Amino acid sequence: MTVQAQILPGTLDLLILKAVSLGPSHGYGILLRIEQISGKALLIEQGALYPALFRLVRQGLLKANWGTSDNNRRAKFYDLTAAGQKRLRKEEESWNRLVSAIGTALGARPEEI
Amino acid sequence: MKLLASIRSLMSAIFHHPRAESDLDEELRAHVHYRADDLERSGITRKEAERKAQIDFGGHEKYKEEAREEQRSYFLEALMQDLRFGLRVLRKSPSFTAMAILTLALGIGANTAIFTLANTMIFQHLPVRASNRLVVIWINNMEHSWSRIGPSGQDYLDWKARTKSFEDLFLFEHGTGTVTGQGEPEQVAGLRVTTNFGDFFGIKPFLGRTFLLEEAVAKNNLIILSYHYWQGKFGSNLSIVGRGITLNGEQYTIIGVLPPEVSTVFPGDVVVPFDNAWVERADSDLGVFGRLKKGVTVAQASSEMKVVMQGIALERPSRKGYGTVMVPLESARVEYIRPALLVLLGAVGFVLLIACANVANLMLARSVARQKEFALRVALGAGRGRMARQFLAESTLLALLGGGAGLLLAWWSTFLLMKYLPSRIPVPNAADTILLPTVHLDGTVLVFTLVISLVTGIVFGLLPIFQTLRCDVYETLKEGGKGALSSPRGNRARSALLIAEGALAFILVIGAGLMIKSFSHLLSQSPGFKPDHLLTLRIKLPDDAKDSPYKDPKQQIATFQRFLTKIQAVPGVGSAAFAEIVPLTQDDMDMGFFVIKEQPPLPPGEHLSSDFRDISPDYFRTMGIPLIQGRTFTDYDNLDKARVVIIDESLARHFFANQNPIGKHLQIPDARQPEREIVGIVGGVRDTGFDQQPRPTIYLPSQQDSDQSMSLVVRTNLPPTAILPAIKKAIWQVDSNLPVFNVRPMDEVILQITSAQRIAFLALDVMAILALVLAAIGIYGVTSYAVGQRTREMGIRMALGAQPGDVVRAVVGQGLKPMLWGLAIGLIAAVGLTRLMSSLLFGVTATDPLTFGGVALLLGVVALVACYIPARRAMQVDPMVALRHE
Repeated sequence: MTVQAQILPGTLDLLILKAVSLGPSHGYGILLRIEQISGKALLIEQGALYPALFRLVRQGLLKANWGTSDNNRRAKFYDLTAAGQKRLRKEEESWNRLVSAIGTALGARPEEI
Repeated sequence: MKLLASIRSLMSAIFHHPRAESDLDEELRAHVHYRADDLERSGITRKEAERKAQIDFGGHEKYKEEAREEQRSYFLEALMQDLRFGLRVLRKSPSFTAMAILTLALGIGANTAIFTLANTMIFQHLPVRASNRLVVIWINNMEHSWSRIGPSGQDYLDWKARTKSFEDLFLFEHGTGTVTGQGEPEQVAGLRVTTNFGDFFGIKPFLGRTFLLEEAVAKNNLIILSYHYWQGKFGSNLSIVGRGITLNGEQYTIIGVLPPEVSTVFPGDVVVPFDNAWVERADSDLGVFGRLKKGVTVAQASSEMKVVMQGIALERPSRKGYGTVMVPLESARVEYIRPALLVLLGAVGFVLLIACANVANLMLARSVARQKEFALRVALGAGRGRMARQFLAESTLLALLGGGAGLLLAWWSTFLLMKYLPSRIPVPNAADTILLPTVHLDGTVLVFTLVISLVTGIVFGLLPIFQTLRCDVYETLKEGGKGALSSPRGNRARSALLIAEGALAFILVIGAGLMIKSFSHLLSQSPGFKPDHLLTLRIKLPDDAKDSPYKDPKQQIATFQRFLTKIQAVPGVGSAAFAEIVPLTQDDMDMGFFVIKEQPPLPPGEHLSSDFRDISPDYFRTMGIPLIQGRTFTDYDNLDKARVVIIDESLARHFFANQNPIGKHLQIPDARQPEREIVGIVGGVRDTGFDQQPRPTIYLPSQQDSDQSMSLVVRTNLPPTAILPAIKKAIWQVDSNLPVFNVRPMDEVILQITSAQRIAFLALDVMAILALVLAAIGIYGVTSYAVGQRTREMGIRMALGAQPGDVVRAVVGQGLKPMLWGLAIGLIAAVGLTRLMSSLLFGVTATDPLTFGGVALLLGVVALVACYIPARRAMQVDPMVALRHE
C-alpha cells in the first residue's frame, strides 16, 4: 500500500494537461492515467475532474470531441491544443523551478546562512 | 430551406446551453460505466459493480452543478465580451453609430408616440364593468335618411320587455341644470339615468352610494356628484353625503360621489335618477346602452332587435319604418378619430421599416469594410456561431440605444401632442363631444418600445450575418478585403433595400401630400360667416324651476331683449345678437318639416324639411352672413306684427328653383301662427362642419318665437378674456341668478371641429418629412459608400480620359436606378393604399394625379441631390491618388 499524497491546489490542471499530452483520452481514462503515472501516489476525486476539464476547454488549452472508445462506448475525448502544449511546457518549467527551490530551501543547513 | 437551416444553426450557436447540458450528463454517465466495467473485471457482479461505481463517483448532481456553474459563467462572460467588443466597435466609428442611432431613434420614437396615442384612444377599455359587452343603441329611419336618432323612453321599456340578448339595458339623458345658493349661479352638465346606473357600469362610489332600483317608483330628489365637481365645488369635503344642493330651484339630497374614472364615460357634473313615470313619457333623443349577454354577438343582438322593432311597429304605428343601429360603446366613442389613427399607425410602421432598411444598409456597407477582419477571425478559429452572436450583440446594442433615444423622443412628442391636441373631440351628428383621455407613456408602451427595439435589432442584425457567413474566407483574404459584399450579390441586397425604402417613402409622402391638399381645401372653405373676432356664450333661463319668472314666453323674449340692450352698451362690443344655435358648435339641433303655401301640396308621406333657427335682428350683421335679397329682421318684427321668416340661399335654390321666394309664405306645422311671409334671403352657412354643404335653413325672429336658452354672439376687437367680465356683469345686471356657460371664441370652435383632420394632418406631415429625411440619408449613405468602393475605378477611368461629367453620370445613375424602381413600385402600391384613407380626405380624390406627380417629382429631386453630393466627390478624385490608393 503506497502512501497517497494530497494534491496541491492548482496542480490538478497541470496533471490533467500532462496526462492528456501522453495521448488523447476520455475523462475516466485521464483519471486512470494520472493514478498510473504517479505510481498510484496521487488519487483524484472522480467528480472533481469534470469542472476542471470544462475549465481547461474554455481556456482553450484542451479541445473535446465525441468519439468511440476501445469497448465501443461513446465518449468525449480530450486532446491538447497548441496553447495547451505551450501552457504545459511553461507549467512544467515553473513547477520544476519551484520544486528545486523548495528542495534547496528544505535542504539548507544552518552553516550555509 | 437553406435559409431555415441557417437560421436553425445560428440559433443553436447562440443558445447552445441546453445541448451542453445533455452533453455533460452523457459524459458523466459514461464515466460511471467505465468504472463499473473495471470493477466487474475484478470479479463482482455487474449490478454490484454499477452500484459501487455510482457510490465511488459521489454526488452526481453536485458535480453537474459545479460544471454547470462553469458553463454559466462562461456564457455570461462570452455575452459580456460580445457587448464590450460591440461597444468598442461602435465607439470606433462614431459617425456610423450616430447615424444609425439617430435613424433608429426617429423610427422607434415616432412609433412609440403614435402607439401611445392609439393605445390610449382605440385599444384601451373603458373603466367600467364588462366594457367590451356594452353597446349603444340608436333608432334609425332610412326612409327619412335619419341614420341615428336617440330612442324614446317607450322604446327603452319595449326593448327591455321583449329582447333576450341583453343582461340589462340602461337609459340616460344629457341635460343641464342651474345650481344656485353656492356662490355664482352655475350651469352644470347633468345626466338623468335609470336607477340601475350603479349596477350597470359596476360603479363603486367614491363616497356614499348610487341609486337603488326601487328609487324609481316615485320622483326622488336624489343627486350624485361627479368626482371633479365634488372636488371643485365642495373642496373634496368628505362629509358631503346627506347634504342638500339647490338644482333648478329645487332641493336635492347628495347621496354619493362617483369615482374619478367614470368621467371618461360620462364627463358631466351631476347625476339624477329617472322615475318610472318620467321614463314612460320621456320623448326621443335619449341614450340607450345595452350590456350583451356573454357569448351574444352584436350581429345576433341586431337581428333580434330587427324582429322586436317589427313587433313594436304593430302596436305603435309611429315607429313604423324604424329600425335600430347597434355599435359597441368602445368603438362608437372613437369612431370619428379611428380612421385617422389607423392611417397613422400604418404610416408610422412604414417609417420604422424605412429606418430599419436604412440601418441594415449602413450595417451592410460597413460589414464590407470589415470583411477582411471577419475572414481573419474565422481563419483564426472563431466559430461562425460566435461571429453571428457578435453581429447580433452589435445590432441589438444599437437598437437598444436607438430605442432609448426614441423613448425620450416619444416622451417629448406626446408631451407636445397633449399640449396642442384638443381635449375634446366632437361626435358627428350627436351634438356631443367625447373627452380625450390624457395620453401618457405607461408600462405597455415601454414593453412595446423594448419589443420593437429588439425585433428591429434582430431583423437588421441578421441581414449582414447571412451576407458575411456565406462568403468564402480564403477568397476574401486573397482578394485583399473585397469579398462577397462588393460582389454583385451584395449590391443586389443593397439595391433591394433602396427600392423598398423608395417605395415606402413614396407611399408615405403621397399620404401626407393628400392630407395637406385636403386640409388646406377644408380650411379654405368659407363657413358662410366671418369666424374671426367672434365670441360665443350660452344663457339658459331656468323656466322649468318652480316659481320661475320665465315661464311666460313673452317674459323670455323681454329678458333676452334686456340682455341685448345691456350687452350692446358694453365698451368694445361691435355688435351682438342672440341665436338659438350658433353654427359649428353642435350645441343643439332644430329640424322640422314645412309647407310652401304657394306651391301645390306634396303627395302624402313626402315632406320638405329644413333647419330652423331663432335669431335676434342683428344676427346676420354680427356673424357676417351676407344678405342676398330682401331685408333682415328688425325690432318691429315682434309678436304684435305679421309673422315673417328669412330663408337661406340653399333653401331658395332647393325649393324655389326659378321663382322669387320673397313674398311667398311658409307654413310650419305645430306653430301657433302657421303662415309666415318670406322677407329675405341670406347666404348659406355650413352649420355642421366644413366638409358639409350648407343645409336649407329657415330663420325666425326670436321676438316672435321664444326660446328658453340662446347663444350670444358678440363681434369685438378685444381679446375674449378682456371683454368677458364686462359681458357677464351686463347679464347679471338683469338677473344675478343666471349662469353663463359654453364661453368660446369662434376660432376655438373651428379648431375643435377640425380636430380629427388636424391630428392626422400634423402627424402625417411629420412622418412624411421623417420618411423623406431617412430615405435621403439612405441613398446618400449607399451612394457615398459605392463611391468609396469605386475610387480606384474612377481614377482609372479619368486617367483614361473620362470627363468629370461622365463620372458624375455613372455614380448618379447607379444610385438613382433603384430609387426610380422604388418610386414605380410605390406608385402602384399607393394607388391601392391611399383608398384606405379616403374617409379622411375632403375635396381631393385618393388618387389625385397632381399630388402623385408632385410627390414623385419631389422624391426624385431628393434622390438626385442625395446622389449628386457623393458623385461630386467622385469627380474630384485625383487619378494619381486613386491609382496609388491600394
